[in-house]
Amino acid sequence: MRESIPSREWLQRNLNTIIPVSGLILLLIGLRIANPYFLASWDSVITLVYGMSFFLVAACGLTLVILMGSFDFSVPSVLKLSAMIFAVLYPSLGFLSIPAALAVSLVFGFVNGLLLARFNIPSFMATLATSMIAEGAAQVISGGYTRMITDPAFRALSTTMIAGLPSIFYWAIAIWLISIFLTFVTPFGRAIYAVGGNLVGARLAGINVKMVRILTFMVCSLFAGLSGILYASQIQAGHMQVGVLDMIPLFASVVVGGTALTGGVGGVHRTLLGVLIIRWLDSGLSMLAIDLNVRMIVFGVIAIVMAILTIDRRRIKIMK
Amino acid sequence: MSGNLRRGAVTLPILTSAWRLIRGNPAIWAILGLLIIFSSIVPERFLSSGNLIAILKNFAVTSMLAVGPTFVILLGSIDVSYMGIWMFGGALVWLLYPYLGLASIFIYPIFGLLIGLFNGVLHVKAKIPSFILTLAMTAVLAFLTTYVRNISGVLTLTVPAYNFLRESPIPYLPSPFLLALPTIAISIFLMFFTKLGTYLCAIGSNEEGAKLAGINVEKYKVLAFMFSGFLVGLGSIAIFVHLGNQTRVDFDPSELVRGLAAIVLGGTPLAGGMGGPHRTLLGALVYVLIFNGLFLLPGVDPNHLKLYIGALLLGAVVIASKALKGALIA
Amino acid sequence: MDIQKQLLEAKNISKTFDNVVRALDAVTIEVRKNEILSVVGENGAGKSTLMKILVGVYPPDSGELYHIGQRIPFPRNPIEALRRGISIVYQERGVIPHLKVYQFLFLGLEEKFTRLGRLQLEKIIGIAKSVFDELGVRCDLGSYMYELPLSTQKMVEIAKAILSIRLAIGDSGAPDITPIIILDEPTAPLSIEERDELFQYLLNLKKNNSFIFVSHIIPEVMKFSDRIYVLRDGKLVAHHDLSVEKVSEEQLFREIVGRVSYYELYGGHEYGRAEAEGRPIILSVRNLTKKGYYQDITFDLREGECIGLFGPAGCGKSEIAKTLYGELLADSGKLIVDNKEISIKGEPHSRLRRGIGYFSGETGKELFLYWPIKKNVSIVNFEKIVRSPLKIVSVISFKAEKILAEKIVKKLRIKAPSVDTECYSLSGGSKQKVSVGKWLERSPKILILEDPTIGIDVGAREDIYEVLLEMKKNGISMILVSDDPKEYAILCDKIVLMRDGKIQKMYTNEEFKKVMEL
Repeated sequence: MRESIPSREWLQRNLNTIIPVSGLILLLIGLRIANPYFLASWDSVITLVYGMSFFLVAACGLTLVILMGSFDFSVPSVLKLSAMIFAVLYPSLGFLSIPAALAVSLVFGFVNGLLLARFNIPSFMATLATSMIAEGAAQVISGGYTRMITDPAFRALSTTMIAGLPSIFYWAIAIWLISIFLTFVTPFGRAIYAVGGNLVGARLAGINVKMVRILTFMVCSLFAGLSGILYASQIQAGHMQVGVLDMIPLFASVVVGGTALTGGVGGVHRTLLGVLIIRWLDSGLSMLAIDLNVRMIVFGVIAIVMAILTIDRRRIKIMK
Repeated sequence: MSGNLRRGAVTLPILTSAWRLIRGNPAIWAILGLLIIFSSIVPERFLSSGNLIAILKNFAVTSMLAVGPTFVILLGSIDVSYMGIWMFGGALVWLLYPYLGLASIFIYPIFGLLIGLFNGVLHVKAKIPSFILTLAMTAVLAFLTTYVRNISGVLTLTVPAYNFLRESPIPYLPSPFLLALPTIAISIFLMFFTKLGTYLCAIGSNEEGAKLAGINVEKYKVLAFMFSGFLVGLGSIAIFVHLGNQTRVDFDPSELVRGLAAIVLGGTPLAGGMGGPHRTLLGALVYVLIFNGLFLLPGVDPNHLKLYIGALLLGAVVIASKALKGALIA
Repeated sequence: MDIQKQLLEAKNISKTFDNVVRALDAVTIEVRKNEILSVVGENGAGKSTLMKILVGVYPPDSGELYHIGQRIPFPRNPIEALRRGISIVYQERGVIPHLKVYQFLFLGLEEKFTRLGRLQLEKIIGIAKSVFDELGVRCDLGSYMYELPLSTQKMVEIAKAILSIRLAIGDSGAPDITPIIILDEPTAPLSIEERDELFQYLLNLKKNNSFIFVSHIIPEVMKFSDRIYVLRDGKLVAHHDLSVEKVSEEQLFREIVGRVSYYELYGGHEYGRAEAEGRPIILSVRNLTKKGYYQDITFDLREGECIGLFGPAGCGKSEIAKTLYGELLADSGKLIVDNKEISIKGEPHSRLRRGIGYFSGETGKELFLYWPIKKNVSIVNFEKIVRSPLKIVSVISFKAEKILAEKIVKKLRIKAPSVDTECYSLSGGSKQKVSVGKWLERSPKILILEDPTIGIDVGAREDIYEVLLEMKKNGISMILVSDDPKEYAILCDKIVLMRDGKIQKMYTNEEFKKVMEL
């Protein structure tokens, strides 16, 4: 029996879809009223696409880790390091520096996963430590200087216009689709949900929990690295400010999409919604000349409120 | 079986506990080792009175960030809101000085207490993982501090009226160190001479068992966050004075790691149930000695600081992870 | 009955949960001075409910409570129970490993030893020392609880219970109450030697205290109690005073499980036994040993055969099952699956690859409650539902997944609107069916069953037995660990009798039924 009016239970169950969708609509209306130029021209659309694309790639990776019930603090730092390696090595290696940057990112993901799976270190702590190392490494290889690359080929990676949109957009959508594919239709994706949903059950069902954890962290870091490469190409440089202010908006866009911090609930498909909301809000607020720091505060508050709303309390016995 | 039972019960509790303290705290050996290493490699620079005073100052700063949160870590939760309390508390002192005069420094502990209360209630009632919650809190407060600086059009949030606090009445003991002593004393008292310390360990070790023993677990969890905030607030006065009567205005993750590293190096496991502020004090000393000595060595580039901090934290958590065996970790 | 010795009497206690489940039905028990009283029964017989009423966790629906002949109200909370001299030591969750012994002893009792917020440590340690001297607990007060042997931990818990009664009674000014300590399955986590140590301790304390010993471990109950009450399905079915009568272990056992024959209980189905002899050996266990739990376990499992590990709780049977599945590590021994030796230190996933599956009745542990049925079923069946169209990536075919789940739902008669129903909304029996159903299609070589039908009704049990027997007929071997002898009689071809971590005897199904009089 279907009821015509949405029942209370239905509302509760779909809360993590309703909030982001209605939030997005309200946001669009609000921004349009506050600023008539918002999304008024194709140029402004392209600006938004540039702001969102590299971000979506990194957010997809973070979503996978959160779905698994862990947290990766090192995403922005790996992003920065990868951008830096790409920019520093580009003059000598050309595009061969891409595999180098990705390989280093993968190593970071492997170490993160290993620290959790093998040494039983809480993931936020392990990734906090590795993020410091990534930051330090970026500092060491660049000497702290901005590395500008003027080669047009370098820039073309992200900014070639295809059908009116820059190529970075297609890269991001491709990564997003790959992540959705990975989580929904492969056994590996099912295992990520299983580990996040019921760790003991996953073990008893014969899932190699350690392997799943390591692989997921590796995918996350790989995406972070890719995001860094695309971003470096977009801004034609690698510098120490890349990624510095990304952790809060990244985290916010994952939970705003409706992925619960406790793991096992949500999905990468939702993260696009979260990224749209956060980036549009960001650009809307900056158009209104609102201070960067205030924007960060807004994102932090949104993230916590959404975390409270989406956390799956039915499963929690003891919250640490 | 009976080999495990120690006979002689409690003949000399003080001596026994002193031995336990040394045996149970590898940090003491680490401190001795570091002292020997650095004073033999770079004796002139390491043992100069200026450097020793610098060590004391840095010890005060590091331990003041870490002592309070140790109470939360005993629960097995984590509290990283100390950066935010320290930064924005200072901004509040600066903002309120024109109205409250010298008394405005007491905003620090009050503010810390309120943030702790907020964190604790939100963590216990809304069931948000404490790390995410307090990290967001720190971020919000840090950005708020930068914002206050930006809109007020000054470079630093300095209150010169507190200059008298910078003068130490005792030679060789810098005033930040003296200002840190009350916080240290309160935390040691809370840990060893009240039931709070026992209860927090009990909750961290076996929450269900603590409930069965009749402990109001939720109340003590909130209390832990409150004391954490209060002690950080009180301790931040020492840091405030150390930085020249001003607060930090830009967020730096390596400062955040400093507190966590001191706790982990001291040997309070992240899983909770063991340790305490006394260990964190030792951990803070280890941390300070390592970095003080390291940069006295020839050929060590201060630009690589973050690399070393990250490696140190990583090493510390890997070593400390032995205590986490068997627990389900996210 | 000697009125002089009577301490506490609970008369005609009844308790119903949610107006449906009758947990206790007019149960009367009496506690005398200075005795060890055992209350025995299966899981769900009402033992725990009765104890929780005595310590004030639940109020009874009806009943009366007498203390030395005087009628008193039921305690409303554990503190009131303490004032009446009743305290409880819980099964295994009570100990707090990282507290020092004296801290643990006084945990929650600090109120009287605090002055201006400051704990009077000297006083606490002094009292702790005198209590331990008096009760004969030998351990260093400054050690951590986890450093003590498990039996000593239990002794400290018992000392804590006595101390908390004394401190509570100190308030009300009635000093001559004999404390009644309820021990809820105290020996479950202990090794065999530790149990004897604990019981010697209890016998010593008997002269000043009374103990209610809740258990289903028959040999211990027989050896150490003065009197025994047997509960079954919420009713008191027997009372034995061991000082005046002799009871055999078998008699007690039958009283606990009931005399109902399994044929009557399960609608007269006769399940055929497999002709296993002569079939190839699929699993050989050789000298498997884990110190303190089981020793020198050796047996062979043939294709399509079911072996039951039978014995009292604590005999090591569930530890062996966990070892075979990779949850627990053995110290030494050999495991040979399909003529290939496998490591005794594997994890569940590597065991599954070798063909060893696991099913337990604890659905909360095993199921993904917020997943639909089909995903719960397919979690071990990826090989069946995965397609590799490009030979590079494996893709789950949702159609195949659905067909697979529907097949299982139909076969097991799971009552659910569709295979997309989330498992948490199913009944207990259906959840268990989903949990076992996933192995139907996977067909592991060996399936380890741990309490496969715990806590579900007869109809659902029958369905699950039917499925398991069909799997057996298809050549899947099984190892069963359970508390219910009827289950062994239905499922097993051979029953290994275990006691104290060792194999005692091997019965065939017929011999077992004869011995158990089923």
